[in-house]
Formats: sequence, C-alpha cells, structure tokens
Amino acid sequence: MDELERRIRHLIVETLNLEDIAAEDIDPEEALFGEGLCLDSIDALEIGVEIQKTFGIKVDPQDENLADYFASVRELARFITRQKGLQEQAI
Amino acid sequence: MPFRPCAVIPTYNHVSALNAIIARLREEGLPVIVVDDGNAPEVAKRIEEICDGKEGVTRLSHRKNAGKGAAILTALDYASRMNFTHMLQVDADGQHDLSRTAELIELARKQPDAVVTAEPIFDDTIPKARLIGRWITHFWFAVNTLSLRKTDSMCGFRVYPVETTLQTVARANIARRMGFDTEILVRLRWGNVPVVVLPVRVTYPEGNYSNFKAWDNVEISRMHAKLFFLMLWRLPVLLAARWSRKRDTSRHWAGLAERGSMAGLWIAVILYRLFGRRVCLVLLSPIVLFFFLTGGEQRHASMGYLRRAWRAGMLPREPGWRTSFRHFMTFGGAALDKFAAWTGNISLPDVDGTEDPHLYESETSGRGSFVLTGHLGNPEVIRAVASLTNRSRVNVLVHTTNAVRFNAVINRFSRSSSVRMIQVTEIGPETAILLQTAIENGESVVMVGDRVPVSEGGRVSWAPFLGEPAPFPQGPYILASILKWPVYFLFCLRHGSRFRIYFEPFAERIVLPRGDRERVINAYARQYAERLEVYLRKAPLQWFNFFDYWRPGGLTPPADMPSSAETMEQELSS
Repeated sequence: MDELERRIRHLIVETLNLEDIAAEDIDPEEALFGEGLCLDSIDALEIGVEIQKTFGIKVDPQDENLADYFASVRELARFITRQKGLQEQAI
Repeated sequence: MPFRPCAVIPTYNHVSALNAIIARLREEGLPVIVVDDGNAPEVAKRIEEICDGKEGVTRLSHRKNAGKGAAILTALDYASRMNFTHMLQVDADGQHDLSRTAELIELARKQPDAVVTAEPIFDDTIPKARLIGRWITHFWFAVNTLSLRKTDSMCGFRVYPVETTLQTVARANIARRMGFDTEILVRLRWGNVPVVVLPVRVTYPEGNYSNFKAWDNVEISRMHAKLFFLMLWRLPVLLAARWSRKRDTSRHWAGLAERGSMAGLWIAVILYRLFGRRVCLVLLSPIVLFFFLTGGEQRHASMGYLRRAWRAGMLPREPGWRTSFRHFMTFGGAALDKFAAWTGNISLPDVDGTEDPHLYESETSGRGSFVLTGHLGNPEVIRAVASLTNRSRVNVLVHTTNAVRFNAVINRFSRSSSVRMIQVTEIGPETAILLQTAIENGESVVMVGDRVPVSEGGRVSWAPFLGEPAPFPQGPYILASILKWPVYFLFCLRHGSRFRIYFEPFAERIVLPRGDRERVINAYARQYAERLEVYLRKAPLQWFNFFDYWRPGGLTPPADMPSSAETMEQELSS
C-alpha cells in the first residue's frame, strides 16, 4: 500500500508539474481538491488520464462516486487496488 | 424480463371484422386489447357486445375520438402496467393477413429490442390512388430516416417493444391521428431501434372504406414536413448510422430489406444530378417556408442574429423578414449540400483551398490533428470529400441533450472505420485517453467551439461576439491542453457554386497554467470568437445556430462583463 501511495504521489507531482511541492510533502490523507492541495477539475482529468495509463485500470467518468475516489492519495490507492482486483476477477 | 406479447386493435367505425380478428388473435394465444376510440353510441355498444365477457379480451374506451395514435398510446400504457413486453398492432378493418401473426411474434421474440413490422405485398384489390399515396409516404419515410431499407410505414401490422416505444413517445410530440404509424416508426429508427421486416399480403375487402380522409392528408403532410426539418439537423448522424448499419447485416431479416429500397433516395439523387441544386432548392422552398412561418423560436433567433450582424456591418441593409427567410433557405441549401457531398455529388474539384499548406501538412504528416470548427458553413462537406481520398478516422465530438438515444448511435460509430461520434458533455479520463490514442495514430478530433455545454454548471467563457458578450464552451481548450497537441481552426463556406476551405493554425500548444486557467481559457474563447467573426463576415447567412445564441437556456454574463444594454448605449453615443 505504501509503495502504491508513493507512486501516486510522484505521478501527481510529475503530471501536474507541481514545482513548489515535493512528492514526499503530500500527506496521503490530505484533500487533493478544494482545500488542501487546491487542485481543480482539469487537474483531476489529467490525473485520471495518467492513472489509467500507468495502472491500466478504467476510470468511468459517469461514476457518481468519482469525486470520493479522487479525494486523497489514500483514497486513490484504495480505488486503484479495488479496480485492479475487479479486473483480475473479470479475467 | 420474460417475453410477454399482447395485441391491440384500435377501433373506429370498423366493427364488421372485429369479432373474427379477436377470435384469430385468441387462437394465437394473445391477450387482446380493443380500444374503442370514441365511437358513436351504437358502434360503441356493438364493440361492447363483441368484447365483454370474452376471456383474454380487454376493452378500453376513449370518450372522444382521439385518433389511431392516441388509441395505440392508451393501449401501450395499459400494456406497460400489465407487464406486457411487446404489443402487436392490428388494424380493425380486416386488411391484415393474420396467418402471419405467429411469425411476427416469433421475430419479436428473437429480437426483443426491435420493432417488427410487416411489409405489405398488395394484391390487385388496392385502389390505385391509395397505392400512390402509400408510395409517397414511403418516399418521405426514406428521406426522413435516410433509410435504405424499405418498410411500409403505413402498414400498421407490427409489434412494438412496449417500454422503448413509450420512452420514444414521451420524448417527442408525436402525431396522434393517422400520421402516427409513420412517425412512430421514424422516431424509433432515429432512436436506433432496429426495424425488422416481414413481407405480408394485404387485401382490400370489398365494401370497406378507409378512415384515411382529407383531414388526415393535411396532418400527414404537416408531420412529414416537421420530420423533414428535424432530419436536416440530424442528417450527419443519420448518414453515419446508415453507414455503420451497412456493415451490420446480421440484424436484417433475411437480407430482403435491401431489395429495391433505394427508390426514395435514388430519386433525390437523380433530381439533384439532373436538375441541380437550384431546382432541388425550389422543391425545398415550400417546406422551408412552412418552418419559417411556424418556427417562431427559430425565426426570432434568426432575426436576433441578423440584427447584430447588421449592426456589426456584415449586412448591407437592415434585415427584415425577407433576409430571415433567406437565412432559413441558406440552411436548407446547406442540408442539400451535405446530402450531395455524402452521395458523391460534390467532389474535390468543387472545393477551393484544399492545397492550403497547413491543410496539406496536417493531411500528409501522418500526425492527427485537433480541429476546432463551428456551425458556420458546412464543415461536413470537407469530411465527405476527405473520406473519399483519405482513410484516416475522424472523431467528432458532439453535444446532445439526449444522451440515451445518442449513445446507441455512438456505439455503432465505434464499429465504423471512418467516423466516430463522442459526446462532449461526458468527457472524462476514458474519453481523453481514447482521443489521445486516436490522435497519436494519425486520426483527427473535431470539436465545435460555438455550442455551450447542455448540462447545468457547464464550463463557459464569455467573449464579445458581434458587439455583445456571448457564452463559449471551455471544453475544447481544456481538452486540447490535455491532448498536448496543435489546434487548428477550420471552416468550409459556400461562395456561389463553389466551396472554400479555411484552415489555419489556432494554437501550437494550449497550456493552462494553474492559478491562471480561467483567464487563459477566456483568452482562447475570445480568440475563437474573433476568428469566427472574421469568417462570418465572408458569409453572414451561413450561420446555423437557430437559437438565442447570446443567452442560451437563460445563461447570463457575469457582472463584470458589459451587459447588452450598456453595449448598445456605447454604440449610440459613439
């Protein structure tokens, strides 16, 4: 889990070119959007694209709980783990 | 849901064959719904005698005559409540060859999502005038759905999927009288509900008269005209759906449908080839006039736009209803051009500007392109011309208020190799990745920059347009920034009898810096509005946004934008 969270933090910083923030500075519990890191929906889209590419999972834009999955690094890690599990089941 | 069919007989005046029809349908094991469509007391009494007390027969009554369509709707509603999945429609006049009932039901069972309809094979008993009337309706049906499959939309011997049909009816204001049979089939087809055809013999029993009266002719014409105008809007989608359907032959019933079914479209193509665009326009003009006269909202939008264009110095004189009608006619002409282009009647030599170095580069580099366009002129002409020479796929992003119906079409698109439609209101990571892959493979992504998102809270930038702030979508610039790809600006205008492509670089890379995004996006929207005005000036009547462009859906500009009143005051004082 920690390794996954580390990768997600790096992915966010690199994808969004967050120059003034180091990957290690992101608290896994911290809110990514709104308060906290203050990312917006365009960032969310970019992160979504990268996450799909990197981890090979599906992110359904129509999923009503999407905002919850993207709430924090920890939530994202849970989401990715769950999606991967689902996909392996499907195979 | 398990397959549960029933049958409906809408009844108005015809009662002599009713008893026999009910008996026959009961033999097939079908529960029967008889709708007494507001008959005179003595006829109603006769229907009551026939129906009541019979097992498996339900009688529903309209107090007043409401028309066949309304009768079918009453029955559909009842069928839905009684958990029937499918409803067979049988005319009360005994024209239908009921020996084919089992076959129709069986086809419906095999394809529960389809509407199954009988195609009539008329024997010699049909009066000639009726035959011609039917043929005209055929033609209109083919034109309206651009369908290459012939079905007798008037036949009325068919099985409806109950829920799908109810949903379709709920979305549209459908003719309730004799126009219903055709219109519902057209609407279902538009909704991409498959139509399965079964050939059936139809006879006209002696002594029978038809409910098909003069009034019905008027209503049928009105309905066709309404559908035709809607069709103009839907033309690209329908054409593409038709193409993808060609590959999808498995849904056809025994391939019989293709036979001789081109007739309607052939005539349109031949008319265009023989007499040219001008004659076709003349033929089209009464329909356009009809919509000009009845389409208050569109006319109002047209006048609003024309007045602004005039104030911006694009029109030589103050526009009146004549100019507005010409605006409508230009739209009709553009629809013809689309049709002509897709059927191969406009070819590369008719189009100027194809040797433009930017266009050439983007076509030959093997790289895909992100192209911004709008509802000005006829970008589809390029698509049609290009698809003859260039095989690379085009991804078109569309707005639509009707997601359900559209997604069905989109699914078909994804199987077609040349054009794919993607709904922009739902762009998420999935779509972005799809487009990114597409563009990296040398495909094009086309998006309009002049339609704001339909959803509430959609992202909008306000930019001055013809002297007044108007909303423009932010989506194209956000998407371009994620795709990290050069953006081009493209229009295709008609000048006299020729087309001219305008293709120019819009931005090498769109970058939206965090914290300053809103401002940068607004700047791009302004750039778009400015370029749009430049081309609008070349062809002011080829602007095809027939809605209140400056205040769509009650959107109002933010407080820091000058309001229209202030702009006008400034104009007056200057």
